[in-house]
Amino acid sequence: MIQRGNIVNITATKGRVFGAILIGTTLVGGLAACSASPSPSTGGGTNAAGGSYTLWDPYPDRDASSDWAKAIDACATDLGITIERTASNTGDTVKDLTTAASNLPDVALVDNPKVSTLADAGLLTTTDDNGFDVSAIAPNILSAGEIDGKIYGVPTGANTLGLYYNPEVLKAAGVDIADVKDWASLTDALKKVVDSGKKGITFSAVGTEEGSFQFLPWFWGAGADLTALDSPEATDALSLWTDWLEKGYAPDSVISNTQGTSWDEFKTGDYGFAENGSWFKSDADAAGYLSIQVPGIDGGVAPAPTGGEFMTIPIQKDTSRYATSAKIVGCLSEGDTAADALGYVAPTAAGSESQLAADPSLEFWIGAVADAKPRTADNLGVSYGIISEQLYTAVQSALSGTASPADSLATAQEAAASKLK
Amino acid sequence: MTRRRLTPVYTVLGIVITAIMLFPLYWMINVSLTQPTDLRRDPPNLFPINPTFDGYTKVISEQLPYLGTSLIVGLGTVALTLALSAPAAFALAKLRPVGGTAVNFVLLIAQMIPGIIMAMGFYLIFNNWGILNTIPGLILADSTLAVPFGVLIFTAFMAGIPDELMSAAKIDGASAFRTFRSVILPVSRNSVVTVSLFTFLWGWSDFIFASTVNRGGDLQPITIGIYRYIGNNTQDWNAIMATAVVASIPAAVLLVVAQRYVAAGVTAGAVKD
Amino acid sequence: MAATQVTPPVTTRDRTTGAASIIDVAPAAGRPKNRQRLRAQLTAWAFIAPVVIYLAIFYAYPLYRNLDLSFREYTLRSFIDGSAPFVWFQNYVDVIGSSTFVPALVNTAVFTGVSIAFQFSIGLALAVFFFRRFPLAATLRALFLVPWLLPLLVSASVWAWMLNSESGIINSFLSAVGIDQVNWLTSPQWAMVSVLLANIWIGIPFNLVILYSGLQSIPGDVYEAASLDGATGWQTFWRITFPLLRPVSAITILLGLVYTLKVFDIIWIMTKGGPVDASTTLAIWSYRLGFGGQSPELSPAAAVGNLLIVLAFVFGFIYIRLQRRMANS
Repeated sequence: MIQRGNIVNITATKGRVFGAILIGTTLVGGLAACSASPSPSTGGGTNAAGGSYTLWDPYPDRDASSDWAKAIDACATDLGITIERTASNTGDTVKDLTTAASNLPDVALVDNPKVSTLADAGLLTTTDDNGFDVSAIAPNILSAGEIDGKIYGVPTGANTLGLYYNPEVLKAAGVDIADVKDWASLTDALKKVVDSGKKGITFSAVGTEEGSFQFLPWFWGAGADLTALDSPEATDALSLWTDWLEKGYAPDSVISNTQGTSWDEFKTGDYGFAENGSWFKSDADAAGYLSIQVPGIDGGVAPAPTGGEFMTIPIQKDTSRYATSAKIVGCLSEGDTAADALGYVAPTAAGSESQLAADPSLEFWIGAVADAKPRTADNLGVSYGIISEQLYTAVQSALSGTASPADSLATAQEAAASKLK
Repeated sequence: MTRRRLTPVYTVLGIVITAIMLFPLYWMINVSLTQPTDLRRDPPNLFPINPTFDGYTKVISEQLPYLGTSLIVGLGTVALTLALSAPAAFALAKLRPVGGTAVNFVLLIAQMIPGIIMAMGFYLIFNNWGILNTIPGLILADSTLAVPFGVLIFTAFMAGIPDELMSAAKIDGASAFRTFRSVILPVSRNSVVTVSLFTFLWGWSDFIFASTVNRGGDLQPITIGIYRYIGNNTQDWNAIMATAVVASIPAAVLLVVAQRYVAAGVTAGAVKD
Repeated sequence: MAATQVTPPVTTRDRTTGAASIIDVAPAAGRPKNRQRLRAQLTAWAFIAPVVIYLAIFYAYPLYRNLDLSFREYTLRSFIDGSAPFVWFQNYVDVIGSSTFVPALVNTAVFTGVSIAFQFSIGLALAVFFFRRFPLAATLRALFLVPWLLPLLVSASVWAWMLNSESGIINSFLSAVGIDQVNWLTSPQWAMVSVLLANIWIGIPFNLVILYSGLQSIPGDVYEAASLDGATGWQTFWRITFPLLRPVSAITILLGLVYTLKVFDIIWIMTKGGPVDASTTLAIWSYRLGFGGQSPELSPAAAVGNLLIVLAFVFGFIYIRLQRRMANS
């Protein structure tokens, strides 16, 4: 028979323990929730002097003690308001803004090729709506935020791509950087480096926007155009990369490398060259790396794309907030404080001049940014996203051996054309 | 006897198997200690030569609040899940409510809804209820990962509880609730620990809900905290892996303790002829 | 949901009505059966009501939204001004006609089938292995769960790290035994294998714990009887343990199926479904259409998501049927 006494005893203790845990957890949870400040009411600031504004940015690695956060705090103090900052992963920006569509932040920093997507969705205000003055911003940087003549956002600063090289590796391989002027000479240099026992070049060809970003200097450097992905010039560009992989001048890992990973590869000291961005300048200076601009197929400088995030002012139910939001944006884009904090070139001429004065070695990158070309230029606008996705898919397809460069690009152009109809 | 002589062999075998299984964890520790310039070395170092502790210093000074929040969220999710799923499973297994099969079926399908869809739906619901960016909100969201699972597991185990136990309680005059509390629950200790374990682990490692319904809260879990080391252009791998290591240690201890607690084997011995 | 009915229940169930079960036993003379049945039902529903309400709010609503998304044409703009015309099944037609559909379906089938086969068998083997009482068994078993403590971001990243073509430790080991570099994550042939390896690794602890719990529920006298009859270990396992484990196995496999169909983070972080659809499953495709690509196509994404749910539906149905057959036999 069942030992009833046992069960009652067991349950008494177990029940008490269980109950205690339950109550305890609820208490702790409740205390934690209470001690957390009440949920920031986005857009619920008071109209009196002050008020609380929300800012979303994609820099979770810049915490409260970083220069960027301090730049925001300084602006908040200047304007007599409080700015609540939320930082999250840059890949989630579109998803986050879409989810919060009923509850958008006052200022949102968006990666520049995504601005047109969000603007097209009606999530962002134009300078007409929010009254911001963009006259001081350099046009080639501003253009990514311009759709059909209206301006939807303002850059925090800009960056671009260049070709870094490791002088020691090149010296040991007998390569003179002055000889690297076009693609043929670059491939020669890579051969020499590999023959000397090192590795050639590293870059990022990953299946995301970063991959397209890194491919564009070669794509444009061959003379190709984003509206015709299957042109012979485009095939030349893609063949350059596939040749490098086949010959072992570039590692197979480029297919899954992000730009950060590619930089980590370069820092092992085994590589002669790395295609990467201006944001690594201080890292490069510390390690003794130098840089040149990406060469074009037959010489000259290949147009490199502009990068960097845009400050946008999403739509709000209370339109009187725009004036102050515009002031926040203005504060962050003038001068060079915010741009320096992020490692970008300042968006205004005055800003970049003061950056140059403070650090003359920035001359290369300031010049490179001035020469750079926006990805959504030529009024590509929203189409850029669709084309870019096909472009990096084609790059992945060719590099992984799934299809030849010509076939990969033909498929890409077909897909892009049908989606853009 | 042969059994006793073979035992150390099993232990050795067990250690080897566990070591193979946990090799990726060792690799994680290795990466957390590797110098940034050696991260992508070809070939990689099997041991961290010239280790760097930068990652750990950062983690210890920055991530502890996140760990605490994750702990609260994990435990809270367990409490909520047990409170919801155990009674329901008892009903489905023993009380035969009308429509029980349909509920079972729905629970199965409920787990199929992609996380991103759930998250977007929760955002709207929580926004209306005003519990966005709060811990209870996150607990509620994370419990949806575990409640259907809990009901299914509890039902499977409770159905195996012999009916004599319950009829004995009934003869003693117990109500349904008393039977549940005093007879079924203690005998289900195995499944309670199983469900609690998985619920805790799922709540602990959730990211999609945390990033959607708790983006701006003051208290955020460790899965969000880790993104402090993932910038838009660079990733600090030392710190990322160090966070994972530091986060795993206390929870690993918890796991070992919980397993001991279950090892006794409960159902056998409760009913003796 | 009868699992192991070791002995038939004693006069406690009202077999004629089948509804009122254990609780209402020995009705007092004269009390009408209907009222008694109703009370029993109400009691049962009192236990189950919270979960049903919970399901309605937290699952039904997102599911409804997902269906809504798939039957209309949603653009990002629709989230602002709410305009989304009904296109009924057009999204489903587009999705099924897309060139990614068949590869995604095949990949999903392969991914799910192979994952479960290995996760279950390895999990079962380990559960049986650890069931013996040897020193450290409990600790080692607990350590097996540690991989589950890691956020998927970390586990997937570590695997991506280890499988890197140039700097990965696995290729290092392979070259030490003379095998050429394998491009695990970047070649169309190996991408699927890579994500399978990682997924199987992640799924083993789940199977181990549940199957182990199942093993513990088998009464010891069964084994005593078997050994008295002279059964060997292998025979005991196949003829006694495995059949008794069937209900727990069924649920483990079913849950494994449902979860594996949904797997997203591992594949996304390791290969992003690439190169070019080589490791794209339906779940990856759905995310890529929605937020992973460059232009959000939310309605097709929702359509793919719903197709996944339909797949799960089918398997759930099969499970319920098998359950009934097992309960009746």
